[in-house]
Amino acid sequence: MPSCPPTLGDFSVLPISIPPLPSFPRAVVHYVYVRRNAPKIPTANDSRSLFLTNVPVDSTERHLRGLFAALVGTGRFEGVTFEDERKNTNSPAALQPAEVARLLAQNKKRKREEEDSERAKEDVAAQLPKTWTRPLRGSGSTAVVLLADEKSAEQVLKAIAKLHKSKKYPTWGENVGDQVPRLGSTWLKAHNRLSYPDKDVLQSALDAFSVVFARREREAIETAKRLRSQPDEDGFVTVTRGGRNAPARSSEAEEARKKMLERAEKKKEELTDFYRFQHRERKKEEQAELLQRFEEDRQKLASMRQQRGKFVPEA
Amino acid sequence: MEPIPAKRRKIEHPRKGAEKALSSAPPTALSRSRAFILEADELLEEIRLDYGTTLEGVDGLLHKIKGSIEAIDSHDSISLVEASSKLEKKHLIRVPEPRPQPNSNYKVAFAQPAQFNVVGSYVSKTMVKTQKGHGVDMVVVMPASIFQEKDYLDMRYFYKRAYYLAVITASLQKDLEGVADLSYELLNGNPLCPVLSVRPKPTAGAEPETTRLDYRIRIIPCAPIDFFPKTKLHLGAALLRTGQEEDAERTEPTPFYNSTLVAEGSFLAYLRLLRQAEKKCPAFKNACILGRVWLQQRGLGGDVSEGGFGHFEWAVLLAILLQGGDNGGHATLSTSLSSTQLFKAFIQFLSVTNFTEKPCVLGQGKGDIDPDADAGPVIYDSVRHLNIAFKMGSWSATLIHHHAKWTRSLLNDKAADQFAPTFILKADHPMHNFDLVARLEYDNAYDGASGTDRRGKFWSFGDKIYRVLRRALGDKELGERARLIHIQVPRFSAWPLTKSHGTQEKPVLEIGVLFDPVNMARRVDRGPADGLNAEEVEECESFREFWGEKSELRRFEADSTRETLIWDSTAPFNLCEEIMRYILALHLRVGQTGKNLAFFGNGFTPLLPFKTSDLGVYNAARKDFSTFERDVRDLEDLPLHVRQIAPVCPELRHTSVKPPSSGDSKSGPRPMETVISFEASGKWPESLEAIQRTKIAFLLMIGSLLEKSKPGHIKTHIGLEDVKSETENLAFLDVTYASGASFRLRIHSDLEETLLERQVKDRTLEQHDRTAATTLLATFRRIYTLLPLHGQMIFTFVTRFPALSPAIRLLKHWFNAHKLSSHFTEEFLELAVLHVFLLPYPWDAPSSASTGFLRTLLFLANWDWRAEPLILDTAGDMQATERAAIGTRFEAWRKIDPSMNHTVLFVATAGQDPSGVGYTALNGEAKPSKVVAARMTALAKSACRVIKEEGVSLDPRRLFVPSLRDYDVLIRLNTRIAKSTLKTYITDDPEEAAPVGRSKFKNLDGRTGQDALPLAQHPVEVFLRQLNEAYSGPLLFFHGAADDAIIGAIWNPQMQKRSFRINLPTSYKPASGSNGDEEGEKDGVVEVNREAILAEIARIGADLVEKIDVKGAQ
Repeated sequence: MPSCPPTLGDFSVLPISIPPLPSFPRAVVHYVYVRRNAPKIPTANDSRSLFLTNVPVDSTERHLRGLFAALVGTGRFEGVTFEDERKNTNSPAALQPAEVARLLAQNKKRKREEEDSERAKEDVAAQLPKTWTRPLRGSGSTAVVLLADEKSAEQVLKAIAKLHKSKKYPTWGENVGDQVPRLGSTWLKAHNRLSYPDKDVLQSALDAFSVVFARREREAIETAKRLRSQPDEDGFVTVTRGGRNAPARSSEAEEARKKMLERAEKKKEELTDFYRFQHRERKKEEQAELLQRFEEDRQKLASMRQQRGKFVPEA
Repeated sequence: MEPIPAKRRKIEHPRKGAEKALSSAPPTALSRSRAFILEADELLEEIRLDYGTTLEGVDGLLHKIKGSIEAIDSHDSISLVEASSKLEKKHLIRVPEPRPQPNSNYKVAFAQPAQFNVVGSYVSKTMVKTQKGHGVDMVVVMPASIFQEKDYLDMRYFYKRAYYLAVITASLQKDLEGVADLSYELLNGNPLCPVLSVRPKPTAGAEPETTRLDYRIRIIPCAPIDFFPKTKLHLGAALLRTGQEEDAERTEPTPFYNSTLVAEGSFLAYLRLLRQAEKKCPAFKNACILGRVWLQQRGLGGDVSEGGFGHFEWAVLLAILLQGGDNGGHATLSTSLSSTQLFKAFIQFLSVTNFTEKPCVLGQGKGDIDPDADAGPVIYDSVRHLNIAFKMGSWSATLIHHHAKWTRSLLNDKAADQFAPTFILKADHPMHNFDLVARLEYDNAYDGASGTDRRGKFWSFGDKIYRVLRRALGDKELGERARLIHIQVPRFSAWPLTKSHGTQEKPVLEIGVLFDPVNMARRVDRGPADGLNAEEVEECESFREFWGEKSELRRFEADSTRETLIWDSTAPFNLCEEIMRYILALHLRVGQTGKNLAFFGNGFTPLLPFKTSDLGVYNAARKDFSTFERDVRDLEDLPLHVRQIAPVCPELRHTSVKPPSSGDSKSGPRPMETVISFEASGKWPESLEAIQRTKIAFLLMIGSLLEKSKPGHIKTHIGLEDVKSETENLAFLDVTYASGASFRLRIHSDLEETLLERQVKDRTLEQHDRTAATTLLATFRRIYTLLPLHGQMIFTFVTRFPALSPAIRLLKHWFNAHKLSSHFTEEFLELAVLHVFLLPYPWDAPSSASTGFLRTLLFLANWDWRAEPLILDTAGDMQATERAAIGTRFEAWRKIDPSMNHTVLFVATAGQDPSGVGYTALNGEAKPSKVVAARMTALAKSACRVIKEEGVSLDPRRLFVPSLRDYDVLIRLNTRIAKSTLKTYITDDPEEAAPVGRSKFKNLDGRTGQDALPLAQHPVEVFLRQLNEAYSGPLLFFHGAADDAIIGAIWNPQMQKRSFRINLPTSYKPASGSNGDEEGEKDGVVEVNREAILAEIARIGADLVEKIDVKGAQ
């Protein structure tokens, strides 16, 4: 087994030995790179969490729990957030009617905590059922592991450093057993089954969604109203759509525009070739175009000439 | 008269600028034809021979030959036997007597030639670089003194001519020893006219010059001018005895023999004619060169085996047309035309004149053509009394007629590239040209069938076959089954001086048939009606005589009784084979054993289980679909009115590789995809997420309504799409009928498109949001606009071209076999085949699956997709401006993205997708990518090479063998496990059930009686998709159809060692390269951890992956 450097930059290298499988009977080492978590926007838990990159694609919380247990013993591992979960845009939380999203962006207001949590609950209810028992992580992706305390983080890094001396690498999938959903055909079958959720479940998700959506819309209207009447710190009142009359739907506006364009087009058509000079100019243009195309042909030919063989009949 | 008003006078201003330049441009208005002229000029420039360097030393050699011949002593007449034995003893040379051997002892003599002359394309300088063999023709006019007038009878002239040639050969053999190789050959494959071929040896010691051409000088003895009375040599004259005996009658007309005799005496007359034409018309030579290339690319030539219409015939005919006869008649063509105009005019002439059907007489004289005489194709030059087409067979005349017709329609097609198919593409491969090719091994038992005309037994036999087949397959009364029948006779090769005659290569005749796809599929032939009047009786008589026992009387509707033929086969190819086997055996006793008559061209059918019942299955699927459509339309409680339900899957347009299977017991139903759109409505919410949710609610409603409307007959399931964001389409409805048919429904909402369009245009949004919206919009348009239109269009063409559907299926099968299909959209493949049907040049639209498929491969191999867009004019009314706009768009793409990361293949259709990227991009990625497109071209090229090399005897399976060696990694799937994933049940959680094992007893098994869930997507495809998502950086996967058991993959060569950073695109390990660990540590260099990636794939696949093979390992 080739030796590897204990650190790369400020990352510690954590080698994991992968047991051979019948379909690929080779013992392989996978490398995870670990450092203390230091996000751009600091959070309270930063000191006791570790930042991992290049986690295996089949990682689950169980797998990482087993891995950290092998390094520093059980009881230190609290949880993990994978890359794809962190920047999750999947939830309808991001949902805003487009108009309102823009208005809110101008006028950000912190919401109250309890309201937030209640809404989160609603959002979860509105989510569609998942179709995968075990989603794959992107190859080379990252994860943040939350540990019990700051000391554990210290110990993990030390244990990793020690590995390079002892060469006894932890094994992937140890202590996991049957507790994670299996991959392979079972996984694919389960996916197909989960793709067809129960209609009632689906219906309740839809209902929850419509509640959320209705509330959002209501809020949006309120916000718009508020904005309409409230002067900002400089004393200006933002002009927003929806005065005395109800605002026009944008689709109607678009239709009206289309009609207008059509009318203009028709008018234009009636007036072509109305005067003699128009006719003459058009002719002139046509001829110029013809000439230009001739020139283009010549150029094309010249470029064809450069690629040899275009003009030699096939043998 | 009023003076011209001022305004109007203004027009008369002198032309200036643009107008002037335009008028000086070539006198054509259209861009295409202008390009054609320029390209043709370029071609002429490119293939012109430099006579000075490449044919150096020819003149010297000619002089030497002349000197040698002039030095030969004359001698008086001695008997032929004596003379030839003398030659054999003294010079070891045989006299190349034409067969049959002379049966009486003629007297032969030798005297000085009356004249020497160099003729042909050497003197007119119309030889080109690419022609097959370069020959310099030297004519030696034999003196009249050695002939008698009656020599035109019974081959006497030809025996004397052979002796004369042998004497010259003897002399040259002595004089040219070490300088040149001598051999005999036949002049244009005419067995009556042996000539001497002198091939100069490369000068010993000197370096092999690459510039010098490998040429040969042909020494052609010919008859003294106007020696034989032309009146006796007319086409109907019988100049040969039928039997071997001296006193046998001369009864059968011998047109070929007669014309050969006339031709022997008119070399110099034609030389004069050509010189005159060259002088009068400056473009004549170039027009001849163009003609030579055109003929050569179609495999036509002056040799009897090549059809008997070559450069010489082209030039002579053109010259006559330019001259318009000597008797003051008007010239057909003007001498002031340019070479391309002459070429086009001549193609026009060939395409409207069918030499076989009606003799074509040129010049004023009536000619002595008996209209009843069956002389084959006739182009009679009444001035020189020669049938120029005397070497042609009826088939080659028909072939040239068809080629001319196809080329003419090409030259009239403004949309097509006119140049390449006319001059560059090689169009002589029998498998490309014909739908069926039969090989007949010649048996000496057929000798009796050859006539008296001395054209060779193979040709005569071929002619007989042609006549029989023409009547059997080309009967207009029954409805022409074959558009074209062609016979390829073996050609004669050169032979050494020590033998008296050469042998033909191999005694095999090739019969090619081009189908009329509609008529060829006919299983019942209705012959003439049985009647009482004499005419009807006679007709029936002749019908019965021709068809033998096969003909029987049958009564049809409307009380008509007709002679009828019933055939057993069902597919067009098999029908044709059956008919040919029957009729050839009946009339010519050919192929009864089945051994010496072999058929080719059908080899592709068994590769795919093509069945004649397929059409029925497809039609049944269409019918099921219309039932489904009606069921949905009949729902009463839908809040919106249904506007359209459109099929968007290949099964419903007859183009899936396998016909749709309903009720497969081994797998859950695989629904056929459809799209439903409703009347425009303002009720859709103005938010993408909300629209998607509303669609789900809508689908739920349709589902429950459908189940209610036909309880017990219909089951519905709502399926969730495997998507990343809430703004994509989230769900579909699978509707399964008790009969087995199943459909998948997705809802089209017009507001969705508007919202997406708005997002794309919205400049206040973030860039990545706009990109995402662009991708979504493209996907939306593809599914809801493009695919329904495309399906409609393909379905129309499938009904118009019967061969289209099988050809598409073959091509898809080929892409599957080579593991390419995971990278292509099915629609693109359909369009590629359709292109070959719509712009079939240089041929006509393919009339069978194999020609369609092979020509598509040819197209894919030749398509330079880097520089050319593929534009399909599906409606047939594309405007030039539209075409130009597409071209501009293509160039813009190439300018924006010169390395072709986003747009690779550019395919545009007028009605469906003028944007050009709808068919070749999926989810914002190019399908295929540049690498894969290049691989497609390479594979198509090598396939075409194999086809060309193997010829007719190609084993079609060879084209479908994938080369697994090209892949770095092979992921072998366990087919048994893969099959087991096809069935899932709603009550049955695979996670729990799998380890326990199923109950032995069917009645205890919870699944019994329960219907399997439909397949949301094929599990293997899902697996591949997951792999692609996880490893899109380091690995490129190749996979064919869903049941393909091997996934190939190659490593991305661009992912090499790199310095470490946080967001790595894949799994990396610290580099431990040859530079040593130290350095790697210092720089923090990492490299792709390939083994770990493969181990991950093995873990993901688990039981599904049987084995992962790595190239180079073990």
